[in-house]
Amino acid sequence: MPELLWLIPGLPMTGFALLALWGSRLPRVAVSLVGVGSVALSAALSVAVAVSFLASPPADHAYSLTLWQWLGIGGLQADIAFRVDPLALLMMLVITIVGALIHLYSTEYMARDEDYSRFFAYMNLFVGAMLTLVMADNLLLLYLGWEGVGLCSYLLIGFWYRDPANGKAAMKAFIVTRVGDAALAVGLFVLYTQLGTLNLEELAARAPAAWPVGSALAVLTAALLLGGAVGKSAQLPLQTWLPDAMAGPTPVSALIHAATMVTAGVYLIARTHAIFALAPTVLLVVAVVGVVTLFLAAVSALAQWDLKRVLAYSTISQIGYMFLALGVGAWSAAMFHFMTHAFFKALLFLAAGAIIMAMHEDHSIFRMGGLRHRMPLVFWTFLAGACSLSALPLVTAGFYSKDEILAAVWAADGGQWLWVMGLVGAFLTAVYSFRVVYLVFFGEAQKEPAHQPGWRMAVPLAVLAVLALVGGALNLPRSLGNLLLLDHFLEPVFAGLAQHRELTVAQEIHLQLIADVAALGGILVAWLLYRRYRADLAAVADLAVVRNLRTYWLNGWGFDWLYDRLVVRPYESLARLNRADAVDYLVHALARFVAETHRILSRTQTGEVRWYVAVLTCGVVILVAIMVLR
Amino acid sequence: MTAPELLALLPYVVLATTAVLVMLSIAARRSHGAALIISLLGLAVTLAAMAYGGWGGAPQPVTDLLVVDPLATVFLGLTVLATVIVALLAAGYLQQQSVQREEFYVLLLTATLGAATLAASSHFASLFLSLELLSVSLYGLIAYQYERPLNLEAGIKYLVLAGVTSAFLLFGMALLYSQTGDLRLPGGGAPGALAGPVTPVYLLGALMVLVGMGFKLALVPFHMWSPDIYQGAPAPVAAFLATVSKGGVFAVLLRCFLTDRLSEHASLYVLFVTVAIVSMLVGNLLALLQTNLKRLLGYSSIAHLGYLLVPVVAGGHMAAGTAVFYLVAYFVTMLAAFGVVAVLSGGSRDAAEFHEYQGLAWRRPWLTAVLTTALLSLAGVPVTAGFMGKAYLLANGAEAGEWVLLLALVAGSAISIYYYLRVIMVMFGAVPEGASVARPRPVLAGLVLGVLLGLLLGLGAYPGPALTMLLALMGG
Repeated sequence: MPELLWLIPGLPMTGFALLALWGSRLPRVAVSLVGVGSVALSAALSVAVAVSFLASPPADHAYSLTLWQWLGIGGLQADIAFRVDPLALLMMLVITIVGALIHLYSTEYMARDEDYSRFFAYMNLFVGAMLTLVMADNLLLLYLGWEGVGLCSYLLIGFWYRDPANGKAAMKAFIVTRVGDAALAVGLFVLYTQLGTLNLEELAARAPAAWPVGSALAVLTAALLLGGAVGKSAQLPLQTWLPDAMAGPTPVSALIHAATMVTAGVYLIARTHAIFALAPTVLLVVAVVGVVTLFLAAVSALAQWDLKRVLAYSTISQIGYMFLALGVGAWSAAMFHFMTHAFFKALLFLAAGAIIMAMHEDHSIFRMGGLRHRMPLVFWTFLAGACSLSALPLVTAGFYSKDEILAAVWAADGGQWLWVMGLVGAFLTAVYSFRVVYLVFFGEAQKEPAHQPGWRMAVPLAVLAVLALVGGALNLPRSLGNLLLLDHFLEPVFAGLAQHRELTVAQEIHLQLIADVAALGGILVAWLLYRRYRADLAAVADLAVVRNLRTYWLNGWGFDWLYDRLVVRPYESLARLNRADAVDYLVHALARFVAETHRILSRTQTGEVRWYVAVLTCGVVILVAIMVLR
Repeated sequence: MTAPELLALLPYVVLATTAVLVMLSIAARRSHGAALIISLLGLAVTLAAMAYGGWGGAPQPVTDLLVVDPLATVFLGLTVLATVIVALLAAGYLQQQSVQREEFYVLLLTATLGAATLAASSHFASLFLSLELLSVSLYGLIAYQYERPLNLEAGIKYLVLAGVTSAFLLFGMALLYSQTGDLRLPGGGAPGALAGPVTPVYLLGALMVLVGMGFKLALVPFHMWSPDIYQGAPAPVAAFLATVSKGGVFAVLLRCFLTDRLSEHASLYVLFVTVAIVSMLVGNLLALLQTNLKRLLGYSSIAHLGYLLVPVVAGGHMAAGTAVFYLVAYFVTMLAAFGVVAVLSGGSRDAAEFHEYQGLAWRRPWLTAVLTTALLSLAGVPVTAGFMGKAYLLANGAEAGEWVLLLALVAGSAISIYYYLRVIMVMFGAVPEGASVARPRPVLAGLVLGVLLGLLLGLGAYPGPALTMLLALMGG
């Protein structure tokens, strides 16, 4: 099996190459076949790898495959090599399966787009790069995939490039994540100079030997890695790009900005947990970042009117939960939530895409309404996603993963405050989820849907809806069946780490009940505010205080405004002040010097043979002089 | 001669016979196709004979004149392969010319033979004869389209200047002979033959020999001919000049001067460091604002030969392998770049001025892709062959602590980025009004360029096998 691993990222990459080179000349059917087929095949292969992995677990719990060495100079080994352990396998399965479903969905969603083949070329490249990221056995290759997905994200946010606003959103996403990427790159430099390798396995072995817990270098490295992670995963303070990234086509939002790429930060921290374990301070920062982000984003989601922006803030908030889990050392809980989140958030985005398509590209939830009977399939699948997102007890996947996180947070030392915040977040999640459900699907119909999803949109919706409901069965807590399949599967990856305090079953049940109350309470509040007493509350909503607060939250707590004042404007005015830059003089002087030297030298190229012979002879004389006089 | 000697000599015999066969076929009946096919078959048989003789074995002296060792074999293979590519490029190119086409291949084959035996020379007589065989063939090749004034001028310039430097070379040999009393290369032609005893006259002789080689390699200050000849010569010949001709001479340079540590021979060391630094800087500076692509590539080649002196100066067990790997990357890149020029040229003159490349990306995307990749490879951008070559060159230099040399290399590369990117910018510019003159699309040249593009990227992404093989062959 390991010999075929290269095909998994290789197939989408080949699809990209085919579509990029000949896509515009191929008929649409062929483009669809290549685009969807390559990802579907690599999904099938991933499943095959997973089956063989489970059937006969390889030695040291990982398949390794070294394709070739790209560069080997001195101690720097740049290998093109893959290492698939349970963590990578889980990511691969989610990426390829959810990716294949979203590709299938896109064949209908993008059917009328004139740049059909370009879209699938980018999407295939993205899947290939993302798979490279998670399968890489060293940080250099991981970084290649990391930059690759960043590039695809940029290209796909600005896919409809004729609208300058989309181009701006793409630039914003690219530049803001670049801040994080720079930190990550510096982190890699530090790791290489200090530990002399970028191989993940060797790093995990060498770091604890070289650095005592809490040593300055460990903290610095972990902090730099965290910088990369918060950029990619849109966490505080680099979360501002994700809501704007919704400018891309909806399948892109589903695949890149919900299910896979934005969780790369979570993956990075989980992958380098050996280093984070040496820096408890940074781990605490991870938890705090997660909890603050999840709260702020959940509140912002409450104030949005754009359907996709609600989901974008919700994504930021849910990734906050994953960071929270990582921060308290609940590694497998974070990955569990990553998986269920990929299912239900991809589902919500795809359903949202179907609605937006039916509403003639209108994103406003206030102009939808009453779609329950007009688009029943979309309603039921969206409802399944919303329930899972709100962690409706027992019947949804989100319940099990969020519950595991909250339990782990409570069990962590001093985790009670974090737990309270997480609980408030859970409550808010339910409120904003069902706010959307009530506004979009209930109430009075405002517009007639223009397009009912065909089978290529319906199948992904249905499959994801089922996964969003039953996906939680992979990890049943001790109070409810005690079938921790995923935890056991991931155990070899996170073995040897300090486990958090075990809770008693009774404690677990208590915590679950409280979380259930929060989720159900949230749904009830949403029902009261946006269904039962909506008309009566219009007066309250019009109050100046409420209006201002809403605008404030609508703009995501004013982070854009703050960064504009703190960073962008001072920088711009500094640049204006320094227009006649002293450094520029130096650079220009250098350029002028080089150009002038060129002019002098080129005057020697007269084209006359006698002059050439003279130069040659003088050259020999000078060389003799140099040899003699040295 | 013994059987092993004959076996070792076989590829050279085949190559020489091929030249004669092509000549005879022309005498019997003129046919461009037949000349091309005989040449290609002959070259293929040469490679087969080389493989049959086995490579990488112990050095096999053939009389006093030649030695067939790994260095000679590697350069024979490289030379023959590059000649195949030049022949294929020339086929399409000559098809559009009104000259007699067939003799081109005779000259090409004799020139190749010269370069190949040059790399195998272990005696000053064979060295000089090979060099002259190469030069005389090149006079004819450069001035092949004699009705074009620029062509003729280039041919005559090359003739005069090559004559002058041959005089230096002969003088150098005489001086060396006066010191050793032997015209054989010391040590039976093992690398580093001339970095030997240090008497002033001997050093002077070595310097004069270096002048002869430096001219062919266009190292500063023997570089003055290079832009004029590149501009005047037909594009496939320019490709040949930049690759095969320089490759053969570089092999001799390695044979004469590559030692474990050149810095132990203080005078030669100073000489090489000076020439290398000046070549890197002057070559790149001269190319800076150039607006003729053929001249630009000529200048760029000056700088690249300067880079290639780094392993000669640095020495060490990796030096020979590193140098040859860089040379392979350089061959592929230059052939690709001149190949594009050859495909675009036709009729009365070669397409070389920048304005002829304006907007090429929108008219001929594949050619643009090849030329862009080649230019990026010359600049040393990652995932191209040129990057790999330069990376190992730097590693080799750093290991020996030649920081001044590396500093010049980096400065030169930085300057070079400017003019390489300028060409790319021109190609991606707007298509000028009424520029689209449909040119025929030669199939053979297209295939060749495809292979070269594959090699450019392949060597950059997957250098392992080629590098391992070369290092093993060259004793790394």
